[in-house]
Amino acid sequence: MPELSTVHHPLYQLRRTPFHARTSQLCLPHNWRRWGGCLAAGSYDLGLDREYWAIRNHAALIDISPLIKYEITGRDAARLLHRLTPRDIHRMQVGQVYYTGWCDDDGKLLDDGTVTRIGEQSFRLTAAEPQYRWLALNAVGMQVQVTELTEQLAALSLQGPKSRAILNLACEQPVDSLKYFRMAFNRIAGKPVSVSRTGYTGDLGYEIWMDATDALVIWDALMAAGHDYGITPTGILAMDMARVEAGLFMLDVDYTSASHAWIPGQRSSPYEMGLGWTVNLDKQGYFVGRRALEREHREGSSWKLVGLEIDWEGLEREYAAVGMPPQVPASAVRGSIPVYAGPRQVGYASTSTWSPVLKKYIALVHLQQPYFTPGTKVEIEVTVEHHRRKSPATVVTLPFYDPEWKKK
Amino acid sequence: MTNAEILIVGAGHNGLVTAAYLAQAGKKVLVLEQRATAGGQLAGATLASGATVPGLHPAGQLRPVIVKELDLARHGLTMSAADAAYVSALPDGGSLRLVSSANDVATIEAIRRLSPRDAGCWPEFVGFMNRAAAFLDAAYSTTMPRLPKIELRWDGLPLASLALKLRRMGGKDMFRVMRSLSMSAVEFTEEWFESEPINAAIAGVAIHGVTLGSMSAGTGFTLIHNWLNRGGLAHRTTTGGPQGLTDALVKAVLTNGGEIRTGAGVAQILVEHQRVLGVRLESGEELKASTVVSSADPRRTLLGLVGAPELPPEFVWQTQSIRMRGSVAKLFVQTDGRHRLPEGTVAIAPTLKYLERAYDSTKYGEMSQDPYLEVTTSGADVMVHVQFATYALRNADWGSMRPELEKRAIDTLALHFPAFKGSVQSVQSITPVDLEQTWGLTEGDLNHGQLILDQIFFMRPLPGWSNHRTPIDGLYLCGSGLHGGGGISGTPGRNAARALLRG
Ligand SMILES: Cc1cc2nc3c(=O)[nH]c(=O)nc-3n(C[C@H](O)[C@H](O)[C@H](O)COP(=O)(O)OP(=O)(O)OC[C@H]3O[C@@H](n4cnc5c(N)ncnc54)[C@H](O)[C@@H]3O)c2cc1C
Repeated sequence: MPELSTVHHPLYQLRRTPFHARTSQLCLPHNWRRWGGCLAAGSYDLGLDREYWAIRNHAALIDISPLIKYEITGRDAARLLHRLTPRDIHRMQVGQVYYTGWCDDDGKLLDDGTVTRIGEQSFRLTAAEPQYRWLALNAVGMQVQVTELTEQLAALSLQGPKSRAILNLACEQPVDSLKYFRMAFNRIAGKPVSVSRTGYTGDLGYEIWMDATDALVIWDALMAAGHDYGITPTGILAMDMARVEAGLFMLDVDYTSASHAWIPGQRSSPYEMGLGWTVNLDKQGYFVGRRALEREHREGSSWKLVGLEIDWEGLEREYAAVGMPPQVPASAVRGSIPVYAGPRQVGYASTSTWSPVLKKYIALVHLQQPYFTPGTKVEIEVTVEHHRRKSPATVVTLPFYDPEWKKK
Repeated sequence: MTNAEILIVGAGHNGLVTAAYLAQAGKKVLVLEQRATAGGQLAGATLASGATVPGLHPAGQLRPVIVKELDLARHGLTMSAADAAYVSALPDGGSLRLVSSANDVATIEAIRRLSPRDAGCWPEFVGFMNRAAAFLDAAYSTTMPRLPKIELRWDGLPLASLALKLRRMGGKDMFRVMRSLSMSAVEFTEEWFESEPINAAIAGVAIHGVTLGSMSAGTGFTLIHNWLNRGGLAHRTTTGGPQGLTDALVKAVLTNGGEIRTGAGVAQILVEHQRVLGVRLESGEELKASTVVSSADPRRTLLGLVGAPELPPEFVWQTQSIRMRGSVAKLFVQTDGRHRLPEGTVAIAPTLKYLERAYDSTKYGEMSQDPYLEVTTSGADVMVHVQFATYALRNADWGSMRPELEKRAIDTLALHFPAFKGSVQSVQSITPVDLEQTWGLTEGDLNHGQLILDQIFFMRPLPGWSNHRTPIDGLYLCGSGLHGGGGISGTPGRNAARALLRG
């Protein structure tokens, strides 16, 4: 039976993250998901409420080790990232973190992640998908080393209003002075870590990067320090709801990488994804996609990712017609849902969710020009008792949820 | 300082042709050549050893349309009308003398001695080869569409006129040409002739200058290509030889107001935001210009002079993937005159297998034990073209292999012409590494990119870039790495000038 042996080949098996010894003990419902070839806990409970509210009210501890990570060092390290991304990397200070997408030469997104300047000539890049070929291609003619650290470097995300207090207890140095999108070295349980004030929830939060061999000690130290603050191991499904509220999109869910697109129409530019703020057309020198992005900037984009709030009364009316109270999904829905202006479809939602903190039904939507203007009234399809209906909705700017403590 | 609008990198014959056309059209051009003399591979050189060698080519001619349009006759260029002889040394010690014309009585008689049937085929073969070469000539002087994205506005008209020319060739011929391109020299010649010495003699021309064997697919194409550039099997000379050709082109540039600077190597093509700004010379001097045309090979131009960091990543990958693979060496032998070699172009290509075996060695990073040779003489001077001497030797380097190269070439030639060995007085050799270092040819590739099926027509220099342009605005390519190259013809140079003038 050759198929069996193929299935058992190590290549086809999901890897375990360095925290598996802890997360597997906690993941009672065995709600595992796949993330970057790893086993990732979807949730540690049958429902998502406890974990979701930990993100918004106290502190959630999320294993984000499956992120693809590269270390980029050498004389031309900054030059490589300056060429790769539309951001002005030469202006970046040591200890600064940039969020950015990067494009092919048609100005269409390939992936997105964070760039951290670790030192003058050393950077860390995170990505949703492996980028080695692309990095190597962009590095031709440069003096730079690209090393993948995905498996050596474990990472935890500590998100929520109490995350700072917990880190102050757990870390050797307080993190009070660490500003939004900055990184600093520190120690937890005597082990070296780097702590960046970043996250994927739109709340106050930190990401902690460590050697994989130190992973369990640091997990334990954080859980102990966070005990009195209600620290909660959290899976990626609750994070998925939080990231929609924060207006953050996800590769393969909210956009397709230009390297995987079957047809040109599946690709998206940074402008179309609302990342115009990351595109620095004034910066020096060539960067990949520059020409195409200049053109799009001049001529305007035909699509845009924006927020959509589904009007509650409209939803209520549709359900009332069949004698039911409105139904909302229990977790974020990753699926395309048509959006209409009158009889015409003018876009689609790519992720939609009930927002417990806002008490609203919200969605990340891709709309055609001019419907992406905030305040525009459109309709979104809802399936009411197996029948397709339309419910009124309003275009809003992202993010939906932006607590004052996020950047303070 | 310069007030030139257009800078041309490299004074090879293609760079000079481009310069002459542009100057003729009233543009202010300045040609920058790294070496001390113009002419590229047509010009001689002083080697690192201090020895001087004449031009690499025994002969060469430009396409008649170029001679006419640039009025090169006025600048002293005349083509020889005489049909030159191609002499193949046979395994039995005899030789086969072929003149590439349909009705040459002596040629037909020589073939009859090998095979009466083949003698009957010769006129038809020559006729077909001439028509096939004419087809290739028409294709070469047509700028290819930028597949996969054809723009009818630019590509439509030239393609339509090419199609018309093809139609005039007749359906049967056209089909036969198409079929021949992808065949091997062995398959192709065996369809025409039954006699091995004839087939091997022809196959020698098919593998000449390329890193391919007689059994490699696509040597049907290289045969037609070389037939076109030579005007048959043998080299045809111009008055004054290759130097006369360079001199006429230089005069054409200068009399039209163009300038040529030798000893002016370009270190960097200056670029900002994918637009050309000028060049920086090796001396550090910077010259500003909004247009730069390079006749250096595409890899050297793009990755060396522009630099990968200024180019789109996929384009960098494509450029890195251009196959450049030199395997030609040359010997310049001074004799006491008693070498007893026949006149004309002499080939050591005794059998089809001999040629394939000579090529085999390159696969293993070795020099041919028994190389294929092509020899021309000029009085007591003997010039030997040696194949295969691969650029990428596996367990050796060209610093130490030079004596072995000279020995193998001389021994091989002496095997067929015993008097030669005793006549040798001194030898100068050029290895693929010399070609790279002195003539600026990446990996010693004479053609600026191998002449293989996936690197010709609309795929030369790269698919999607057959219009002489590059991702850098204002930077054009005009050398042998372009459609119509390699070889001496001037076609890529002419095409580049026309593309540029069309705007
Ligand atoms: C022995 C031999 C046999 C051959 N046989 C065949 C054959 O059978 N069939 C065939 O098709 N072709 C053959 N060729 C190849 C043919 O000769 C070449 O394709 C042709 O000569 C190239 O002409 P070119 O003008 O394009 O380039 P080149 O003659 O190579 O000229 C390029 C010029 O650019 C200059 N240059 C390069 N870099 C710089 C720089 N940075 N700054 C300034 N100048 C620079 C170089 O010095 C050179 O002068 C043969 C070549 C040789 C040597």
